Amino acid sequence: MKPMSCEHESGVIRALHSGEWSGELRRHAAECPDCTQALQLAEALGEAARRAEAGFQAPDAHWIWQQSRRRSREIAVRRVTRLLAAMRALAAVYVAAAALWLLRGSAALQYREVASSMHGVSAGFALMGTMVAAVCVVAGLWPILRDSSEAS
Amino acid sequence: MEDARMIAAWIAPGREQTAAGEEEGFRRLYEATSRSLWGYLQHASGRPDVADDLLQETYCKFLLRQAPSMDEAESRSYLFRIATNLLHNRFRSRDDAALEEPAECGAQTDEETRLDVQAAMRHLKPRERELLWLAYVEGMSHAEIAAATGLGAMSIRILLYRTRQKASTLLRPERIKS
Repeated sequence: MKPMSCEHESGVIRALHSGEWSGELRRHAAECPDCTQALQLAEALGEAARRAEAGFQAPDAHWIWQQSRRRSREIAVRRVTRLLAAMRALAAVYVAAAALWLLRGSAALQYREVASSMHGVSAGFALMGTMVAAVCVVAGLWPILRDSSEAS
Repeated sequence: MEDARMIAAWIAPGREQTAAGEEEGFRRLYEATSRSLWGYLQHASGRPDVADDLLQETYCKFLLRQAPSMDEAESRSYLFRIATNLLHNRFRSRDDAALEEPAECGAQTDEETRLDVQAAMRHLKPRERELLWLAYVEGMSHAEIAAATGLGAMSIRILLYRTRQKASTLLRPERIKS
């Protein structure tokens, strides 16, 4: 059989804290060994709590507020930094792709096939590369512009 | 009532308050809860310096996670939950013995009750200290304790019963009769 406390124990402890005792609850607490033990323990712990808390010097609430704001800003900066790193990686891929395309273009120039190389697939790649570059630049500038506008 | 109104206004959804107003709401919540939260952390960890650290950390985390629809009672319960999680992280990341050393402050006093309680608390496991404190000092219901500790609501009653028996035998028999 599992050991269980008296079902009135919570009510007795609540009454101890609130000071609102019903006659019936007070009589029960006096007669029930479980509740008596719980009451005595609560009083001993409460006394220890009052004594410990008397020496408590609360840190300044404003300081904690400032700390949380600072941490919040740090989290925002870390988030933006991750975005910028991703944009940088994307830009590096773009540069590599552009370099390959230019090499191909210069080879075509050597063989006087510039016009044909700038049509069709190559022109499509060039346009896509330009768009990716534009997206990278805008995405990179956006958080910086937003932060500077918030700061001002 | 003024405190409750300010706190409720601060944590109400869709608030459009100035930063100063929000800070004032936080200040009132802090003043209403910091003392009891520190007492909990101090007795559960057994170390005032750890309690100081964790108290600040608790409020910082609370502010960062600002749950918009909480009333004052829920905020208080949430603060105790954050504090309990931080205590557990501390117990896991450090040597438990270091957290169970006798507290320096008050160790020289001849106040019997305090020494008895401190001595008894040192012999209890961290989880047992938490349960005792939340139930008998904070006066939390079993459901509130379950929310604060992450334990199952059904197991709180039996755990609390065992912990109370253990604490009662550890405390001086003339104060706590088992």
